Amino acid sequence: MWIVILSMAFYIGFTLFILGYAFDAFAFRVFPGEDPVRVVNRYLLAAFISLFFMRFLFQKTPRMKITPFLHLPISRNRLIAFFQISSLFSVHNFYPLIFFIPFWIRFVNPSQLIAGPIFWIVSVIGLLLGSHFANLILRGLLKRYQGAFYALMALFILVVVVDETTGAGVIQEASIFLFSHILAGYVSSFGLVINVVLGLAIVSTVVLKKSIKAPRWSATKKRSAPLNVVVPKKFGLTGKLIYLELLLMWRNRRPRHYLLVSGLFSSMYLILMLAAKSTIDARAFDALIGLFASGGFALNYGQLMFSWDSTYFDGLLARDIPMRTFVRAKLILLQLSCVLFFLIALPLFIWLKPELLGLHLAFLVFNAGITTVLVMELATRNRQAVDIEKSGSIFNYEGFSIRHWLWFFPTALPPTLLMAAMPNRPVTALFILAGVGTLSLLATEFWTRFFARGLTSRKYRMAQGFRFYVR
Amino acid sequence: MYVEFKNITKKYGTKTALNVPLWSAKPGDVIGLVGSNGAGKTTFLRLVLDLLQADTGSVLIGGKCVSNYDTWKAQTGSYLDSTFLIDFLTPLEYFKFIGTVYGFENGQVEEAIAPYTNLLPFLETEPDSGFIRELSTGNAKKVGIVSALFPGPELLVLDEPFSNLDPPSQIRLKQHIRRLALEKNMTMIISSHDLGHVTDVCSRITLLDRGVVVRDDVTSPETLSQLKHYFSS
Repeated sequence: MWIVILSMAFYIGFTLFILGYAFDAFAFRVFPGEDPVRVVNRYLLAAFISLFFMRFLFQKTPRMKITPFLHLPISRNRLIAFFQISSLFSVHNFYPLIFFIPFWIRFVNPSQLIAGPIFWIVSVIGLLLGSHFANLILRGLLKRYQGAFYALMALFILVVVVDETTGAGVIQEASIFLFSHILAGYVSSFGLVINVVLGLAIVSTVVLKKSIKAPRWSATKKRSAPLNVVVPKKFGLTGKLIYLELLLMWRNRRPRHYLLVSGLFSSMYLILMLAAKSTIDARAFDALIGLFASGGFALNYGQLMFSWDSTYFDGLLARDIPMRTFVRAKLILLQLSCVLFFLIALPLFIWLKPELLGLHLAFLVFNAGITTVLVMELATRNRQAVDIEKSGSIFNYEGFSIRHWLWFFPTALPPTLLMAAMPNRPVTALFILAGVGTLSLLATEFWTRFFARGLTSRKYRMAQGFRFYVR
Repeated sequence: MYVEFKNITKKYGTKTALNVPLWSAKPGDVIGLVGSNGAGKTTFLRLVLDLLQADTGSVLIGGKCVSNYDTWKAQTGSYLDSTFLIDFLTPLEYFKFIGTVYGFENGQVEEAIAPYTNLLPFLETEPDSGFIRELSTGNAKKVGIVSALFPGPELLVLDEPFSNLDPPSQIRLKQHIRRLALEKNMTMIISSHDLGHVTDVCSRITLLDRGVVVRDDVTSPETLSQLKHYFSS
């Protein structure tokens, strides 16, 4: 594991360094004749926005770390200052500098010792810190005002999309304007950046202060009315277990987020992908669209299919729940999710790319038949517990391991390669995918027995792993 | 229901958590499992419920190995800890789910719970008491215990049932245990640190020390003082 992480870190670091130091060689290929500094200035704001999203996906906040210290005789202001400063020592604040520092030394020319180059690098570092504090603010917002958060994010994505698709390029122009002025030594532009960064730092400190003063916000305090749904008797224990899984999704933050994100993918992100003019192999890109449009939920949620039950896994094992019934309920639920997200995405295909309707349908069958089986195989091997209740933050990767990331390749590569390998016979490729999916769907009972056997042989280790979780 | 341990050993790493060559319980036995922290009580109970894999030997319920057959599960009620509770359900939803597992119809669940409602007074005063995770530790535990009792199993396995319960609930639980042992001939294995309660309701005491059964006797009027002496020496 560590070797993989270190190799990846070295690879990324080395790539960033070379990219920064020899940027002219790369810039020349894409923007021939344009000054490398102007190219970077053009994309700086967009880069910070992208880096911000990276942070949002992966960076942790200091709020959780501070809680165990609150009862100690240390003033809150001092604790907050300590955690705010210590949170700055994050890899997200350093790795972009592997690109920017060599680039600055080579192209911005700090040897002139005039204000412009100094202002420029201070602004870049400042904006890195700014995006750090903005991430803390947004995460605070997400915890308290989920609706406002999603509205804000939707608005933001919409602005970026409109800016890109209409060709207005407002973000690029603003970026060139701001950083060219900073480089020219304009104190007003430099001051603007510094003020924004300071403002974000102050607001994030206030948000952190408020978040530890307020009573612990919890979904549990929001009392949802118990549902009085009676599962028809003919569905038996399988129906009851599916209903239990639906309640799990609806009443717990983390699975609910998976549901929301999958819904977003099958709607908003899909609009972007369907509207995008792909520069990579179109067939492979289409395959990814097909895979995620109806199978996104199964791919995300399904990987943790048994970890979701980690807090009461012992209780399920000790009860008279046949392993096959348990597995069948999970498999059927994943298959049904493919149908649901197929239907959600269907109007978008009809609206934006009706020529891909066949692909959407073929991938529905492929996802329901094959993708669900592949993620179930991974799920029956997962021994990491998941906290379904506390993890309100989106993209919490608790329960995932390197295996989950690598599993994406056997899941996504075969259909993508098949589509790419048959560019002239796409219909045949789709028929193959749908055919394989149909066969696998018909073998649902076989898969049920297969996974039940696997789960039975691994149940002790899984239960042991899940018990490490302490609420 | 007969429960037997045959040549059971269970190690965690190099440490032997349990070493029980032979141990058995017969229908109607109410066994109090006592011992210090780390003596192997929970390991013992998990092995009974097939939640752990023994390194050697086997546990038999009704003459069948628990890890090879599942038939015992329909006749066993158990509550070890909060990992038995599906805490995003309300107590009633949870009872209904457990009822379905044991083959109850919806109406039958309410009927089966009725004798135990004195353990769940909070449900009477506040029927919409929310999800199990919103209950206090003691009340959540009562939900778990009732879920083990109401299906009317032949074997009952409880881990520390008296801790976290208020005194009235402790008294009522003891009344239920006595009644079930007498009327239903239920086999019970109850672990506890509370020597008073355990000697009060159990017909037999199995004392574990560092994974080994060091005493296994019928409860007598002297048992409590003998156990107190053992633990204080």
